[in-house]
Amino acid sequence: MKLVSKALVSIVGLLMTASCTKLDENELLYDTVTSDKFFKTDKEFLSAMGAAYTNLYGFKGALSNVNEVTSDEIVVPTRGADWGDGGHWIRLKLHTYKPADSEINGSWNLLYAGVNTCNRLLATFEPVGTAQSEAYISELKVLRAIYYYWLLDNFGNVPLSIDFKDIVPPANSTRKQVYDFIEKEITANVGKLRKTGPNDQSTYGRVNYYTGYAALAKLYLNAEIYTGTPQWDKAIAACDEIINSGKYALTVKYQDNFVKENTGASEFIWAIPFDQVHAKGFNLNHQTLHLESQKTYNMTAQPWNGFASVSEFYNSYIDPVQNPGPQGTVVGLDTKGTPTTGTVDKRLSNFLVGPQFAADGSRLVDGGADATDPDGKPITFTPYMNELLPAAWRQSGARIGKYEFYNGMTSDLSNDVAIFRYADFILTKAEAIARKNNNWSDPITMALVNQIRTQHGGVDAFLTLNDTRFLAERGREMFYEALRRQDMIRFGKYNLSFQWHPADADNHVNILPIPEAQINANQKLKQNPGY
Amino acid sequence: MMNFYIVSKRISVLFICVFLANMLLAQKANIQGRVTDNTGNPLPNVSILIKGSTIGSTTSADGRYTISVPSSKSVLVFSYVGYQTREETVGNKPQLNLQMLPESGMLTDIVVTGYGTQRKREVTSAITSVSAEEFNKGNVPNVAQLLQGKVAGLSISRPGGDPNGGFAIRLRGLSSLGAGTQPLIVIDGQVGADLNSVDPNDISSIDVLKDASAAAIYGTRGSAGVLIVTTKRGTSGAPKIEYNGSVTAEDPSKFTGHFSPEEYVAAGGTNLGSKTDWNKEISRTAISQTHNLSMSGGNNGTIYNASVNYRDNEGVAIKTGFQQVNARLNLTQRALNNKLVINLNLTTSRRISQIGFSEAFKYAAIFNPTAPVRTKDPLYDLGGGGYFESNFVDYANPVAVLEQNTNDQKLKRINVQGSAEYEIIKGLKFLVRYAQQTSSNFRTALLPRTSFHSRNFLGVSGSARNGYAFKADDESFNQLYENTLTYDTKIKSFNVTALAGYSYQDFLNEGTSIGAGNFVTDLTADNIATALDFSAGLANVGSYKNASRLAAFFGRVNLNYNNIAFLSATLRREGSTQFGANNKWGMFPAISTGLDISKLVRIPKVDNLKLRASYGITGALPPFSYLSLLTFSANAGRDFYAGNNVWLQPYGPNKNANPDLKWERKAEVDIGLDFAMFNNRLTGTFDYYNRTTSDLIFNVTVPVPPNLANRTWKNVGTLKSNGVELALNYDVIKNRDFKWETGGNFATYHVQLSKLSADIAPGSFIGETNLGTPGQEATQITRAYAGRDIGLIWGPIYKGLDAGGKFLFDDGKGGTTKDENAFRTQIGYGLPNFEFGWNNKFDFKNFDLGFFLRGSIGHDLVNTYRSFYENATVVSSYNAIKTKYYDPAIKDGQKFSSLHVEGASFVKLDNATLGYNFPLNKTGSVKSFRAFLNAQNLFVITKYSGVDPEVRYSDFGNVLAPGVDRRETWVRTRSLTVGVNVGF
Repeated sequence: MKLVSKALVSIVGLLMTASCTKLDENELLYDTVTSDKFFKTDKEFLSAMGAAYTNLYGFKGALSNVNEVTSDEIVVPTRGADWGDGGHWIRLKLHTYKPADSEINGSWNLLYAGVNTCNRLLATFEPVGTAQSEAYISELKVLRAIYYYWLLDNFGNVPLSIDFKDIVPPANSTRKQVYDFIEKEITANVGKLRKTGPNDQSTYGRVNYYTGYAALAKLYLNAEIYTGTPQWDKAIAACDEIINSGKYALTVKYQDNFVKENTGASEFIWAIPFDQVHAKGFNLNHQTLHLESQKTYNMTAQPWNGFASVSEFYNSYIDPVQNPGPQGTVVGLDTKGTPTTGTVDKRLSNFLVGPQFAADGSRLVDGGADATDPDGKPITFTPYMNELLPAAWRQSGARIGKYEFYNGMTSDLSNDVAIFRYADFILTKAEAIARKNNNWSDPITMALVNQIRTQHGGVDAFLTLNDTRFLAERGREMFYEALRRQDMIRFGKYNLSFQWHPADADNHVNILPIPEAQINANQKLKQNPGY
Repeated sequence: MMNFYIVSKRISVLFICVFLANMLLAQKANIQGRVTDNTGNPLPNVSILIKGSTIGSTTSADGRYTISVPSSKSVLVFSYVGYQTREETVGNKPQLNLQMLPESGMLTDIVVTGYGTQRKREVTSAITSVSAEEFNKGNVPNVAQLLQGKVAGLSISRPGGDPNGGFAIRLRGLSSLGAGTQPLIVIDGQVGADLNSVDPNDISSIDVLKDASAAAIYGTRGSAGVLIVTTKRGTSGAPKIEYNGSVTAEDPSKFTGHFSPEEYVAAGGTNLGSKTDWNKEISRTAISQTHNLSMSGGNNGTIYNASVNYRDNEGVAIKTGFQQVNARLNLTQRALNNKLVINLNLTTSRRISQIGFSEAFKYAAIFNPTAPVRTKDPLYDLGGGGYFESNFVDYANPVAVLEQNTNDQKLKRINVQGSAEYEIIKGLKFLVRYAQQTSSNFRTALLPRTSFHSRNFLGVSGSARNGYAFKADDESFNQLYENTLTYDTKIKSFNVTALAGYSYQDFLNEGTSIGAGNFVTDLTADNIATALDFSAGLANVGSYKNASRLAAFFGRVNLNYNNIAFLSATLRREGSTQFGANNKWGMFPAISTGLDISKLVRIPKVDNLKLRASYGITGALPPFSYLSLLTFSANAGRDFYAGNNVWLQPYGPNKNANPDLKWERKAEVDIGLDFAMFNNRLTGTFDYYNRTTSDLIFNVTVPVPPNLANRTWKNVGTLKSNGVELALNYDVIKNRDFKWETGGNFATYHVQLSKLSADIAPGSFIGETNLGTPGQEATQITRAYAGRDIGLIWGPIYKGLDAGGKFLFDDGKGGTTKDENAFRTQIGYGLPNFEFGWNNKFDFKNFDLGFFLRGSIGHDLVNTYRSFYENATVVSSYNAIKTKYYDPAIKDGQKFSSLHVEGASFVKLDNATLGYNFPLNKTGSVKSFRAFLNAQNLFVITKYSGVDPEVRYSDFGNVLAPGVDRRETWVRTRSLTVGVNVGF
């Protein structure tokens, strides 16, 4: 009894004093790592750097959408109960977009996530002071400038956040200040970047010397819009830096740029190396294909039947007046897509139109076809669309076929996507010369445009050009490359009436609204005019 | 003895008392006796005190005691919690046997408080006890359901009849946005236990700690209230064996209304020639059975209670249900002259659930009513499994969904708890407790090669997918270590109870999941490695592991002045790893006081009248671990291309740091009145509370730049709520042969998001939720604004139709508009104004009859079925929903508006039971035999046109978005149970 009492009392004393009060959460980390425990190896550095690029796997999402769906190229109609999405797709088309719209906020978040990652990595690399870190720093600064170029183009008066250590929410800068920053950053750093070619694996998918000049060319081409002052000579010089390097060439076939195995295509100045396993994010197949098209390609998941091109834009390929060239049988513009005669531009591969078939050759049939669709259940993609909303026919609209769709596709395509493609800079140079000389039929301009027309389109060379024809040619060549909104603004067409889009009341819509969520979170931000 | 003294002194002055007590006890000749209760069973642990001294003793497990008395004139005071105190003069008898009678009336019941018990009359905070007799009856497999409607201010809701669905539990509305919107569960002292680790049959009572002063002893987890579950204990004496068994038949009682085949075709829908009642096709009369066998007894200081529960529950949807075995052992051993009490509680349960697919109910409502269930036509046999299918968004043959696919889980729970309590000196007890809980859940989903399940299930489209298998294993584990020191004494006219303690608990969660498709044969789907997705790089795998830790010191003092005035003061200092580095420890004090007015002033007819007032502070934890840290992560499928086919996973920050992250702090005032009148025939409790929860934890959108990520977990806002609660019980008739007892409770609450910090822009909102697929993914339907009530349903106001059948909405300027986005405002309120329960119990000779009504008044629901499918234009894709609101004039696309927001006040007859007790000879082998018939959900009175008007307290976990009736809700059901209770 005594012994037990003693033992018990001892235990009690022990228990009362052995209290654990350690509450450092860092001791309990298992499936995550904190920043102070990272950056120990070279691979960790390169992996960290990668975050500045992998952010771009969202490029074909919101950012691409605000630059395409707002233009005359692409529409996302409301198909009955599908794709209504609170009307935000339609608002893009009508230019009635709101600060709260998801694609607006998504674009901003994508771009500033890129800026921030660059800022963070710069703060990490700058104290290191090795040659390797210096190279990373220049690369990151140009990459950051390109993110700002998109911000400048889409949102205009964005805040300039350039120092990771600055934790005060920044106020807006003017569009001119952002422009100046981009120009200064690229010109100061582009010389330190490597002059590698399109298929050099050491820089594939990353920013090199020519990427820097490509960005400068785009900046200067639109300088008049951004600052009021045109920069045609600078634009021409930047294009020449690329063209005269001899490292790039137009692909033999237009489609070579867009096939599944397009890595290192000769026009790729800078591309996103999408991969269905490693680099997911490009899901055009899901956005545009009909639900039943799953059987055409033995897809692993069902597509969503949304994005489509429109008949007027499609017509700019097949209309012999707009696009002179060899005539042949093409899918027509009527409600059934009846075959008709028109220009057979090789770039019609940009669209999937006409009757659709399963992989075994049988005709695709849609048991759920709209009762009012005149060609019924057998599936035919028609450039014709009955209405934008509320019930665009399920089979209506030319589908975006620019990137090769392949057998066994998953939700994510493996086709790489060029951000800067050589053909664009041939056309950029052509346009800058025409505008500088105030002559769309300038011989150099004509030669450059016709080079593209004949080689990529297989259509007749133009004998004369004007601004409308030039813009249409850019449309045929650069369709669905996230450029159309910018091009239409530069050509003064963005606010005019075009298919499914009545004329805008004024041009405040040329700059997108700053997202509501951002203004709510940072009260120093001022909304762009007109919103 | 000397050695003992010295050792004691070295450790603590406290233990000197042990020595002194032993000295005093070791003196004179003894008086012996046995104490029993009113039924003759021995009563252990009765306190025996020589009046006017500090000398005392307690009874052993078999009710026996010995005590040395100074003279024959000594008076012994026998007291035991819950029993009337008795005083006896010793006299010349060497033996003094005694029977103690329970204190009668509600105000004398025992209440389990945190780390202790009190008599109801001593309680100074808002605590409601519900005993097993008061629980909801019938087939009740879920503990929360036992209490539904029974406690004023405790809202318990599960819309629809999903046997595997959980109940939402809310105490006094919403007081937290963090992890703790559901009350903390304490089972037999095991803090943070899983409520469903105990079978409803094994529970003897549940105590609900409602106000902050009661819950403050649980610190960072007390804000949403505390449910203290006490399981059944044995009593010493002859072994008792009890069997309870029942069989239940359950039917759907209401389906979502839709067009008949004729109406569908007339509206322009494609006629496929059949007439299928999809609701009938996927549902059935579900038969369930429950068996509970328990045994209890004890002697020589050992008490045990062991039970086994088996439940086989079918769901009304085909191929759904669960089977569960739960076993429990409660063992108590007294030793060392009853100074040492060792307790062991073991529980294990295994539940196999066929979850099924709740979306089948949605598809049954909207599937083409002229389509056949099965077809061989290749145009419609899209999966190749012989089922009719059609390609529309979020649309699949509901019979195929349930018949072809499997969605199962196997849940295992093991609770182990042991405690040892040693009475060092009279009244001073030291307790050490260790408990652990392991829950693991193994989930399996299999979609065969012919399955055509719509997209969105596990992120997979089943069609032409060649099958898909998903397996996941999750385990959570926590262990609790506590010790407490309690001291009970009497100082002059004051009874003093003091408590000091330390608590430590750690938590570990781990899991793995694998999903992969593309099989050659379905038969190997359980060998997931045979999925081709692995070699194609398409398989989905994931795993996680996270942990947290809590540590706390706490103390409490209870004072009782002559059973007239009461005071209780509590303090808990608690820290969590989940708090930011700058705010690791929080302080949670409380004070409460009560005054028994009936003891001071004689009021006619009033037996008891106690006024209470309390104030306390409780906390709530962040919802996850690591929220205060800047952590790095990589996303699979977003690798960085480093050239030459080398890919690297890029690591980057996934959220911002917040070293200031701290607990949500709730301060609450509660003023209450407990009363008993007319010889305790009318009893009641009234409470008014007012609470303010500040430092609400919310995942805030922050500006990018300068932040790395656009979300940071911050303490941002303040919720204010108040309400009144009233509970009454009345013995209307109390004759020998006929008794009628009626009781009710009533509660109001009102929750306002009173303030948001400067991190959130003035005028902006949080808590939005969206309508969803198809087509309305971006349609916001709820909001929460600073300065306004929680529960705002938000949207345009419906103003009729134009000549063409297009929707017109209020434009906010006195006119109408067709733009649904032009003017959006509050169009409903998702939370009720008040809730009530009304119970009636009749006893006539051997018959008993009880029924229970429950209601919620004043809440609205968004009937999302109507928002998606109400107008006839949808028949090109879906069958249309038809309720009393159906308007054939509508020719517009679907646009959400006030048209789809309905008042959903309801009264339900939750429960009715008729029982008969067979008169039996007490000496027979069967001691008691009762048979009963029970009905659940006999009727619902409501104007709501949807399936179930229950309050939706949150929307997919978003507690700021109540009031949304989702399409994935199961149908309402009605059930009938027959059962027996047999005692041996």
